[in-house]
Amino acid sequence: MLALVLRGFMQRKLRVLLTAVAIALGVALMAGTYILTDTINHAFAEVFGNAYAKKAVVVTEKETLGRGAGSESSVLNDATLATVRAVPGVAAASGSVTTQGALLTTSGKRLTSGGAPAIIDAAQPPRFEAFTAVKGHLPSTAEQVAIDEATANRQHLRLGQQVVIAGRAPARRYTIAGIAKFAGSESLGGASVALLVPQQAQYVAGEPGAWQGINVAASPGVSPQQLAARVRTALPATLTVRTGAQEAANQTSELEEKVGFLRTFLLVFAYIALVVGAFIIFNTISITVAQRTREFGLLRTLGASRGQIMRAVVEEGVLLGVVGAVIGLLAGIGLAPALDGLFRAFGADLPDNGTVLEARTVIVSLGVGIVVTVAAGLLPALRATRVPPIAAMREGVQIPPRSPLSKRALIIRFLVGLVLVLAVSTLSKGVGVVLLIGLVIRASRLRYRLRHHGKPRNYRVVPALASAVGWLVSWRGITARLARENSVRQPGRTLTTALALTVGLGLVAFISVLAAGTKATIDQAVSRSFAGSLIVQNSESGQGLPAAVAPAVRTVHGVGAVTAVAFTKGRVRNLAAAGAPVIAEKSTVTAIEPESFVKMYKTEWEHGSPATLTALGPDDTVITKKFASAHDLHVGQRLAVLTASGHEVTLTVTGIVKEEVLGLLANLTVLRSLASSAFGQREDGVDFVSYAPGANSAEVRHGINSLLRADFPQTHSQTAAEYTHEVSSKLNTFLLLVYVLLALSVIVSLFGIVNTLILSIYERTRELGMMRAIGTSRSQIRQMIRYESLITAMIGGILGLVIGVVGAILVTIFALSGSGYVVSVPVGTLFVLLIAAALAGLIAALAPARRAARLDVLQALASE
Amino acid sequence: MPVRTVSVMLMNSIDGSDSTGGSQPIVQAQDLRRRYGEGEAAVDALAGVTVDFPAGRYAAIMGPSGSGKSTLMHLLAGLDRPTSGTVRVGGVELTELDDRALTQLRRDRIGFIFQTFNLLPVLNAEENILLPLSIAGHDVDREWFDRLVDTVGIRDRLSHRPAELSGGQQQRVAVARALISRPAVVFADEPSGNLDSKASGDVLELLRHAVDDFGQTVVMVTHDAHAASFADRLLVLADGTIVHDGPAASTEEALDLMKAVG
Repeated sequence: MLALVLRGFMQRKLRVLLTAVAIALGVALMAGTYILTDTINHAFAEVFGNAYAKKAVVVTEKETLGRGAGSESSVLNDATLATVRAVPGVAAASGSVTTQGALLTTSGKRLTSGGAPAIIDAAQPPRFEAFTAVKGHLPSTAEQVAIDEATANRQHLRLGQQVVIAGRAPARRYTIAGIAKFAGSESLGGASVALLVPQQAQYVAGEPGAWQGINVAASPGVSPQQLAARVRTALPATLTVRTGAQEAANQTSELEEKVGFLRTFLLVFAYIALVVGAFIIFNTISITVAQRTREFGLLRTLGASRGQIMRAVVEEGVLLGVVGAVIGLLAGIGLAPALDGLFRAFGADLPDNGTVLEARTVIVSLGVGIVVTVAAGLLPALRATRVPPIAAMREGVQIPPRSPLSKRALIIRFLVGLVLVLAVSTLSKGVGVVLLIGLVIRASRLRYRLRHHGKPRNYRVVPALASAVGWLVSWRGITARLARENSVRQPGRTLTTALALTVGLGLVAFISVLAAGTKATIDQAVSRSFAGSLIVQNSESGQGLPAAVAPAVRTVHGVGAVTAVAFTKGRVRNLAAAGAPVIAEKSTVTAIEPESFVKMYKTEWEHGSPATLTALGPDDTVITKKFASAHDLHVGQRLAVLTASGHEVTLTVTGIVKEEVLGLLANLTVLRSLASSAFGQREDGVDFVSYAPGANSAEVRHGINSLLRADFPQTHSQTAAEYTHEVSSKLNTFLLLVYVLLALSVIVSLFGIVNTLILSIYERTRELGMMRAIGTSRSQIRQMIRYESLITAMIGGILGLVIGVVGAILVTIFALSGSGYVVSVPVGTLFVLLIAAALAGLIAALAPARRAARLDVLQALASE
Repeated sequence: MPVRTVSVMLMNSIDGSDSTGGSQPIVQAQDLRRRYGEGEAAVDALAGVTVDFPAGRYAAIMGPSGSGKSTLMHLLAGLDRPTSGTVRVGGVELTELDDRALTQLRRDRIGFIFQTFNLLPVLNAEENILLPLSIAGHDVDREWFDRLVDTVGIRDRLSHRPAELSGGQQQRVAVARALISRPAVVFADEPSGNLDSKASGDVLELLRHAVDDFGQTVVMVTHDAHAASFADRLLVLADGTIVHDGPAASTEEALDLMKAVG
């Protein structure tokens, strides 16, 4: 049997290849994702390994809520350093500072690439320093800086040139004294590194006198482990002591967690492409099984058992899967750099060295590719077993349908579905609602089947949509008419082919609607809440605003008020509930200066008023309605909050705000002064500025911008309109990335359309021959196939748009109800998507149409 | 030859054909040869056939399997190209036409009836009959259509799709389809081959009727002596050449002729 399968394969190389591509693209994205993320992990592991290679022991602060939970102030200082130095076995110790900031030219141009940060490092003594100077020397005076080689090369920086570094303090100029190279020659991605003398690094970090870490070297004969143990006993328990190797491993694993998000994000798209591929495999194998009815009948007549027929079809699936998965894996190896390039194009520069192909990548990619293909081929294989031997003798024997299910079987099947949907609904309300609608449709079908002796209802959607789309091209006469009829000839086949496109387009539509809603919500939230004149933020993504900005802006002539808003984190426990359970593991806490804040930020109140905010005391907090109702919190209750710096504070709820989604006020709102003292928060998130009454706004803004440019070049001011515009353009960038990744699924579905068309043309060979014989021109044949493809694609597109839009609206209504989320349907985008679906259909028809038009009339007429 | 020139020639010939009357042959074949394959394996399906088919006559071509009768019909109908020799339909030399011109000629001047009916399953009977006009983008002559429908007797079946029609009904629809564009000649390839004797007789009668009442020219290929007896003229082919060309014979005479060559 296997020989027969193989021979059949060789005879249908093109079809096999087309079908295999359907699965190969998904596998390629999967393999590419693994390779890319493994490569990134590997590169970072090397970077960290080299960074800590010279450090026997490293002392850091304990991370109460995990690294990066807040920008809490450091507790390590020169006294700690002295304590460490006094530990027996310590040969040397030095304080380290590593912070993020902006690296700019003197005219304010960014020197870092894309969205990558500039890392500001305190230069260490040679025995600890991972950088070595390749030109000049490492900084030795407060005015000097050393820049990493990659940045220097990329930006053509020379010794003696001046650069501006801005972190959490007013910007300063430094002169390039050296170009440095990281141990090993690893790429640091797009990140730039600037080495300053320690005191300057402390200044940039905004904490003169504070260290973020202490590097320790061991005396001869003392192992890192021994040394770590000794240092640990000498220091308070609030500090963490690790060997260099442990610290490297620790940082690597933290990074791998972050890369894990990226991996999951990309794998989602790979799985979507695989689902689409599975549709196509299912459809193609179904069609070929139907076309080979006679062949199977013959095999049965010759004595083949049902099991053997089944095995033959399944073996085809396995071979198809192997071909597809191998092509996919090879393509994935090529795709990994392309993905990297894609992220670079979207501003995420990630370090990579070579290509890491792990055994897991090969096994998982091949395994998933083969399993998906075989699974998709199982149903058609079962159908093939129902071919009766008589099919060998007669033409046009149809495979008998499965005997109609009994009423009990139908009801049981429905109930199982119901239970599954309810189970999913408990996990996610939004998804549950979507599934529930599917279930209602199933229920109406069930009713039909129960009344009609278990027979499924005929297709109605496909003919209806085909008529609608066909009507659009009906002015083209007979070719359009025939295309429409042909597309509904096998509605199941057309539907499956179209559904492959529906998946990709549906997701695009779904995301477009949510994105439009998000933009509208932000617009609305800003216009409703923001009552100030300007918003000041850091231009570097993810970096906070120096605390010094607000007081500085206040001094500008014509500025009425400035309010700083900071964001920190805390673990919240509900003291009113028995056992004081943790109700938020790592909740964002907004810190405000109430007097000025209430003038520039409006919010609606469930319980309280703006006066509640102005009366906010150091032990008080205001919570959101959403948080309150989720955990049954009331005014007067007390919450215990463990801060990022390890303090625990007890806060009393004094008010409840109806803050809308994407609003500024997080679960908890506290005084900014409390955030600095108890939370260790030392930078702000955003500053709001309002002009003094009667001030010339253009002049005031000019004054503010001049100040920012001179002292805080890493920040910029925006009006509300500019702010919302920037947010929506950032959202657009992300959307574009998602669309590019979803395009893969759409391409897969195009192969499905091509496949179905070619197989349908093959089935209709004699018909086409007749049409040519009685005078149909080649271009008319091509036109007919094109319209058929167009109709299939449009059915898929329309279904996708409807499902995507309805799904998105339902999710916003049910999952985000009461949050103030605005539903907005981007009609223009959806129209473009529909046009894209039509174009996709026309492109898919190119090759099949040419093939159909080239058929030899006589051969076609003679075919069976 | 430029396509435009061909089209002009074609139009002229169509205009001119009406005045030629019954005496002028509608289809002329001159020393037709068709060779399949190359070298040692080459087979001459037609080894030099010269024949004319006058307008308004009903000719049957018989011959055993492999005699070349189907090949001859394919060449006459412009479905295949001869290795050498010429074919003229309504005065137009087919071998000089490109695919587009040939397609147009088949569309406007030639009707086909196939053994396997070859109706489009997605169209109903009426739409199938009108298909050649739809393809050509020509208007429907309702009077002619009604006359044809009544002649072939499928008026009550017009809205049915082929799957809902019997074989005989399907072939009658096919006959109407072949006649709808008033072609210069209808080629019928074993039109009764897939029908029972009653339906077969009906269809053959219809073709006879088309020749007698509409002045239609019909060329039929068959291996059924009874079918051949409906024609005016009987040609017998064997090994790629015409071995008999005479007036129509009775079924028995035709059978004898076939025995002689078979």
